[in-house]
Amino acid sequence: MSEANGLRQPKRATADLFLKLGVVPVPDGEKAAAAIGHLDEFRTKVRSFVMAMESCVKCGACAENCHTYLGTRDPNNIPAGRADLIRKVYKRHFTVQGKLFPGLVGAQDLDLETIEKWYSYYYQCSECRRCAHVCPFGIDTAEVTMIGRQILFWLGIGPQLHTATSGAILKTGNHMGLTQAGMVDTLDFLSEEIEEEYEGLKVTFPVDKPNSDVLYIPSSADFMLNANTLKGAAMFLQYVGANWTMSSRITEAGNFGYLMDQNRVMREMVTRLMEETTRLGCKKIVWGECGHGWRATKMYVPTMSDMPASRKIPMTHIHDEVEAYVKAGLLELDPKRNARKITLHDPCNYARACGHSDNMRVIMNAVVPKGAFTEMRPNREANFCCGGGSGILFDDKKMYEYRILASNKKAEQVRATNAEVLCAPCSICKAQLYPMVKEHKLPVEVVGLVDLVGNALVFRD
Amino acid sequence: MNVFIGQILPYVAVTVFLGGVTWRIWRWMIPQIVHNITLSPWPKSWSAAIVWILWQLATFWNLLKFDRPLWFGAWFMHIALFLMLVGHVLAFYTLGLQFHILVPGLITPELSLWLSFWFGTVLGLIFLLALLYLLGRRLVNEPVRAISSASDYVHLLLLIGIATLGNIMRIFPEYQVGYIPVREYLAGLFLFQPHPMPDSLLFLAKYTLVMVLMIIFPFSKLMHSFGFFWERWIINRPFHEPARGLPGAGVQLPK
Repeated sequence: MSEANGLRQPKRATADLFLKLGVVPVPDGEKAAAAIGHLDEFRTKVRSFVMAMESCVKCGACAENCHTYLGTRDPNNIPAGRADLIRKVYKRHFTVQGKLFPGLVGAQDLDLETIEKWYSYYYQCSECRRCAHVCPFGIDTAEVTMIGRQILFWLGIGPQLHTATSGAILKTGNHMGLTQAGMVDTLDFLSEEIEEEYEGLKVTFPVDKPNSDVLYIPSSADFMLNANTLKGAAMFLQYVGANWTMSSRITEAGNFGYLMDQNRVMREMVTRLMEETTRLGCKKIVWGECGHGWRATKMYVPTMSDMPASRKIPMTHIHDEVEAYVKAGLLELDPKRNARKITLHDPCNYARACGHSDNMRVIMNAVVPKGAFTEMRPNREANFCCGGGSGILFDDKKMYEYRILASNKKAEQVRATNAEVLCAPCSICKAQLYPMVKEHKLPVEVVGLVDLVGNALVFRD
Repeated sequence: MNVFIGQILPYVAVTVFLGGVTWRIWRWMIPQIVHNITLSPWPKSWSAAIVWILWQLATFWNLLKFDRPLWFGAWFMHIALFLMLVGHVLAFYTLGLQFHILVPGLITPELSLWLSFWFGTVLGLIFLLALLYLLGRRLVNEPVRAISSASDYVHLLLLIGIATLGNIMRIFPEYQVGYIPVREYLAGLFLFQPHPMPDSLLFLAKYTLVMVLMIIFPFSKLMHSFGFFWERWIINRPFHEPARGLPGAGVQLPK
């Protein structure tokens, strides 16, 4: 039943990978019953899910406001339509009207075909929550996507990318499978780069340093793909004389658990974070550039972690800290070093989930010359997703084509600004936008925001 | 038949309506708000959250901002419906003198009757036109049609039926029922002292449709009128930011 009915589906993880995550894939014949069992459990536990199931009036306001529908014109990519893939089944089993008049109210029994559709469409949704933002009721269909993915995970269905990444999390605490030795190697190299680029400037990247005050959590992708972001963060932390460190056990600002299994795998990250904070004696956690991971931490850790540290240790984003220092006038910045015309992509999880729009603008206006920064429209909490949100960064042909379709709206927005640089301060946005700008032939360079801070900081002895 | 519709069905409809709504809300209260999934920028306090929720309710702000054509149909339909519901209660209770009772010095009983008539007529027509517009939109707008089920049309047709019958009774004098017979009949229901229904087929038809609507209400998407509050309570709540500043850093933020 794989790759069924011409559905767009990402490459599946093998049963072996699932076994490593403690999930025994459910045989086809038992999948529907197992899924209903899980739905029944969520129905009694998660109110946001129940309200999404029971409040939608199918007004369709979400349709033209979802980049996946705009890119594909597929009715199952309308947020209300996508939620309906579960809602039909929910109605059939858990509502009076669905039990009595299934045809009238659009209720359906669950079959393998529908489960295949779940796999297809819940991995086309990027959980960006623009639909929640525009819905007159505030129905958050990302909650439905999350539960769809969670059930699929428990059935043993999931993309190779997410499942393998979840495996890496359990093993190393980061997505890329970085080890401490590998980290230190890369960081030495980054130190040398900074020394060359900034006239002998010596910046160190502490790892697992005991008695540190601040634990900085970088995105593991910053070690390879977005090195300038990691360099920028280190330069800022060094500039203000922070007693900081990274931890080799949790070198990951993202959280693929949040994107696939908001139980075992997500909790692994949360637990490691609190263990490491305690072990290294840190008094504050500062987060690197990653959208979903920052949400998973800022908004979920307090209600998810079962360690008392999580109620005491303040957690902020590196942007919050840079903003505060900029506002206090404590940073000497030379905006001329970032003199190209630039626009800012608001990562969905910052803008719609973490209250994180002003700080990026304060920083931006401080690190680029006056007039260089152009807003794209719409922006802030009304911004459109890059098309790669929730880690749907699949490389298989059909899904890659989909990623480019899903970024049509983003390309249109960027093009209208005539910018030369596209600042997208989130690892998944960056990973999506690197190929996106190529496919859409946009003449822009994709950068992070802390990159620009590091580049503009004027160090004096 | 008249006894069933006039003296039994109303009690069934009210019981099913109130019981059903209570049961649905009871079921919503069992699951928890597991994590704070508020939308940002979030309200600074609970009172700000409530103001925002009421603002959304009164203006249909999101539709106004993100789907103007839908806003025209939806807002006018709902506002007319709301005012008419209030109007029905007041007008039947006071026999059309509600405006006189509210502002006795300024509005004479005759003026009140006149106002009641025109408010009812205009709102009734707005309601019907908005419903027809929404039905047309559901049929013509490609994505909306794609996500519609039969029940979505049934609800609209039911409301259109009720609105049409109401408008006929309001606009054509020969079909008017008048406040008094209706009030006598309703008073009988409230006091459990049965009084015959007004003698009008149109009234019977409209009244039956309204009771059907009340009976299906708790088992349909019409529950969104309550769902709105439960959903927004999840999605518009305050969050408190931790303080900025790096402990132990050489350069400290001013206190």
